[in-house]
Amino acid sequence: MSKKGLIGGYPAYMRESIEKVEATRSRRLKEGPPPPMSPKEREAILERNHPDYKPEGKRKLALGPSAGEPVPHEVADIIESHSVIDPRAVDLSKVDYDVDVLVIGGGGAGTVAAIFAHEQGIPVDRILIVTKLRHGDCNSIMAQGGIQAADRPQDSPAIHYLDVMGGGHYANKPELVRALVNDAPGIIRWHEDIGVMYDKVDGEYVEAHGGGTSRMRMHSAKDYTGKETFNSIRDQARNLDIPVLEFFPAVELLLDKRGHAAGAVVYNIETEEYRIIRAKATVLATGGFGRIHIQGFPTTNHYGATADGLVMAYRAGANIIDMDSVQYHPTGVAYPAAILGQLATEKLRTQGAMPVNVDGEAFVFPLEPRDVESSAIIEECWVKNNGIETPSGLRGVWLDTPMIDQVHGKGTLKKALAAMWTMWHRHDIDITVDPALVYPTLHYQNGGVEIDANGYTKVPGLFAGGECEGGVHGKNRLMGNSQLDYNVFGRRAGISAGKWAKSAKVDELSLQHVIDYEKELERAGIDTDRKAPIILPDYRPQAVREHTLGHLL
Amino acid sequence: MNKLEKLTYFPGCTLKDTASDFEISGMAVMEALGYVLEELERWNCCGTVFSLTDDDLMHQIGPVRDLIRAQEAGSEEIITLCSMCYATLKRSSLFVNGNQERLDKINAFMNKEIDYEGKVSVHHLLEVLRDRIGWEKVEERVTNPLEGLSVAPFYGCTLLRPQEIAIDDPDAPTVLQDLTQALWATPIDYAYSVECCGAYQVVDHRDVVIERTHRIMSAARRAGADVIVTSCPLCHFNLSDTQKELVRTIPDYEEMPIIYFTQLMALGFGVEAGKIPASLKAKVKRLQTVKGEG
Amino acid sequence: MISEKQEKEMIRIHVMGKTYEVPAGLTIMDAMEYAGYRFTRGAGCRSGFCGACSTVYRYEGDYRLQFALACQETAADGMYLVQLPFTPAPRAKYDIEKINLKENVLLQYYPEIARCVSCNTCTKACPQDIEVMDYIQAALRGDIAKTAELSFDCIQCGLCSMRCPADIKHYHMAQMARRIYGRYMSPVPQHLENRLQEIADGAFDAELDKLVNMSREELEEAYAARVSEEASAGSERSE
Repeated sequence: MSKKGLIGGYPAYMRESIEKVEATRSRRLKEGPPPPMSPKEREAILERNHPDYKPEGKRKLALGPSAGEPVPHEVADIIESHSVIDPRAVDLSKVDYDVDVLVIGGGGAGTVAAIFAHEQGIPVDRILIVTKLRHGDCNSIMAQGGIQAADRPQDSPAIHYLDVMGGGHYANKPELVRALVNDAPGIIRWHEDIGVMYDKVDGEYVEAHGGGTSRMRMHSAKDYTGKETFNSIRDQARNLDIPVLEFFPAVELLLDKRGHAAGAVVYNIETEEYRIIRAKATVLATGGFGRIHIQGFPTTNHYGATADGLVMAYRAGANIIDMDSVQYHPTGVAYPAAILGQLATEKLRTQGAMPVNVDGEAFVFPLEPRDVESSAIIEECWVKNNGIETPSGLRGVWLDTPMIDQVHGKGTLKKALAAMWTMWHRHDIDITVDPALVYPTLHYQNGGVEIDANGYTKVPGLFAGGECEGGVHGKNRLMGNSQLDYNVFGRRAGISAGKWAKSAKVDELSLQHVIDYEKELERAGIDTDRKAPIILPDYRPQAVREHTLGHLL
Repeated sequence: MNKLEKLTYFPGCTLKDTASDFEISGMAVMEALGYVLEELERWNCCGTVFSLTDDDLMHQIGPVRDLIRAQEAGSEEIITLCSMCYATLKRSSLFVNGNQERLDKINAFMNKEIDYEGKVSVHHLLEVLRDRIGWEKVEERVTNPLEGLSVAPFYGCTLLRPQEIAIDDPDAPTVLQDLTQALWATPIDYAYSVECCGAYQVVDHRDVVIERTHRIMSAARRAGADVIVTSCPLCHFNLSDTQKELVRTIPDYEEMPIIYFTQLMALGFGVEAGKIPASLKAKVKRLQTVKGEG
Repeated sequence: MISEKQEKEMIRIHVMGKTYEVPAGLTIMDAMEYAGYRFTRGAGCRSGFCGACSTVYRYEGDYRLQFALACQETAADGMYLVQLPFTPAPRAKYDIEKINLKENVLLQYYPEIARCVSCNTCTKACPQDIEVMDYIQAALRGDIAKTAELSFDCIQCGLCSMRCPADIKHYHMAQMARRIYGRYMSPVPQHLENRLQEIADGAFDAELDKLVNMSREELEEAYAARVSEEASAGSERSE
């Protein structure tokens, strides 16, 4: 069924370029990809093209514990904003939920944290997960390519460590990276225990390279790695009966009189009521910021990725780190527009697909670290003008996906990359036959709330794990380390919170920090209507938004 | 080794679960006879019980889908071992094959499948043994003659009733007796070989099945049987399960082995395939020793 | 979504009874947002993995209901759309450590799968094109491996269970099958166990101590000196 004017899902004018890609394919297969860049070449191409390196994209934070840190304007905007609640109007005398461990966020890190807090001996009815959407509407479930763990004899946590540090431009916090790489094999073992179906052949893991790895250590479950691992973890939490409040975003953290974290104010999306949760320990697992669309980029992230935790923790006194660094996944969908910005997994490249330009020529080593690979694609499109223009005026390069079956045998792509095949197939494009058009897309918050190796933040009683924390990945995360991060630091935060809750006592609840923050805004001369956390993005057209009567009922 | 002839095989759920010995022995003896039972790549439960309502096409969707799978596999027939699957699939095929109106209605509902053309016929393995292979061929394969073993055939209902699907004379069938003889064993004649075992009464009225089992087993024993042979997993289950009750409640009740006809063949062919009750193996060995000495 | 230059062609869609004009080429989700809807439910990952946005639609003049994920399917002219809230479906609680593989464990925990009449309505409703009925049938006969394999792409949107005339909870049962397969039928490779023992024995501690304390220059040097396992993928070239 071909739609109007399209041939195999593509407009006729793109076909000319696809023919060139086909013409060069066998030569490229024989010659192999261009060589990897040297560290100097990498730095140079980043400097020239990476959005992080554009000074006009950032400003220094005007207030708060990390004042002076440069961050993207979009991040500064949500941090330099008013609370969504009136702290004086909230009744803190009536506690609705009184728990030992509150976990904010129902994604990977939050679920892992809850399970391991329970393993520390906290009864499940003393644990509570709150989440703004459903339990599992998160980025963890969307991860495709895999999870890194150095478990083969020719590999080691030390080699993994070096790969991570180099990929992160040596800005990573060493003790966090150490924890990441050293815990990794144990995480895989835990997944085995709870029944994750990792790809295996003849009883051995299928392990692949990712961009910037020097050993093959990417464990996968087809290209549904995130879905398979997260769903098993969530199922385990459900078997344990860990309580979850869905459609209940946290809108402000609570401290007690001593300044210790003491729970949160949460908001019922349907009834618009607030509830007070008092907790001895609070785990922040709120994920990243894709939906605030840094520099206008489309994103791979889930609908609720609005960095709420970052805003709340900052007001409560936590430091933020490496927030100047944003991960653009090199290969987001550039065409068709309906799925613009959705992820074309790095696994396509690990399995042999080469990025090629309008003339069918390869221009970059396919497995550079993500920031470098993205920069090369941006340069090819907008500096060298060798991109392919889409009907809506964007540009992209081809990811030559038919190479995968040519390298590994017919049928490989459809089996190992089932989700990818299906995604394009829904739009009449068969990526075993034709290449896919891709362009970098906003993917991951490299930085976040500063933690130590056990998930402690600067605020006593507040712990963090997963994408909302920073320091693990420095200025650039490698493929397969986000899955690992949410498991390692979700677990560590859960264990720490469990231990903390056993001896902690909560003093009188307070929102004084929110009141103080308002004063600080004023002192910093920030005059704005902005409110945060923003909870969910608003994609209604401007015309609709300007024409509403608001909540009349 | 000669190339094996393929038979399009429909196992049914029970043979994949509690009646796995039926399938294992069936595969093995058919291989000895030069055939391979090739399982349909996709199949679903036959429905177990044929729907008697004339206008109820919904209940034909399941069995007809299995006929479609055979058509997809390029086969015009399905072979079953389980006599319940046989009955359901067979009755379904007779219900729709050649009836264009019913075919059209069912095909219209199945919008994700290819159209069923109404050409697949359903056969039980006993028919294949009797009509295509022949008892002589079966006898030729015997390496372990079951001489002296008295076998009580138990047909149950679904191979013989209703008449239009009967694989043999519904009142006086001989196919199991003929098979028994081909294996050099002795079929015994007793009054209950075509009776119902009580079927699904076992769920709500277990006492009915216990009482029936008692009658069936006693009659077979009085006639001198050493073993009961059946082709129905439900008969097998009912007889063996309630026999345990008899062992518990009736003093001196001696348990009699109950096996599938394919297991009897495996014994006769000297093929190790699946579990055969140790008491039966011992009995066969004893009989053969006695024979040898005499 | 982020606004971009939309093509001019407009289509008409009908959302829960109201008619809207929206640009052609948007997903159902984007089209509804363009029409002015702001999702609080029925939107999750927006990439086809979480199952939050199961949608039922029908075309003008067609009696058949069709099923889709709103974030994946392109809106088309004449669609009558309704988004389904996530329907509660009981799931069996079990201890993954205590599974008895000898019995048909799936049937034991989900006895309602025996109610399957092979109508295939589940398969027709699946937006992931999974052979749902086939895996229910596999489960019915105790074939855990096949159930796990056939259901692997399931995103638990719940459309199968909403349509099933036998009220089977396909996706929960399949989740259990996959976990049992992963836990019991796919052994842990020995090299992982070896590595865990090495870590427990502190085999890498000294090396990691050294790395953690390296200066940036030392690290850069060590990084540049890495030799990649396979020249064709992931190797580094030093200057």
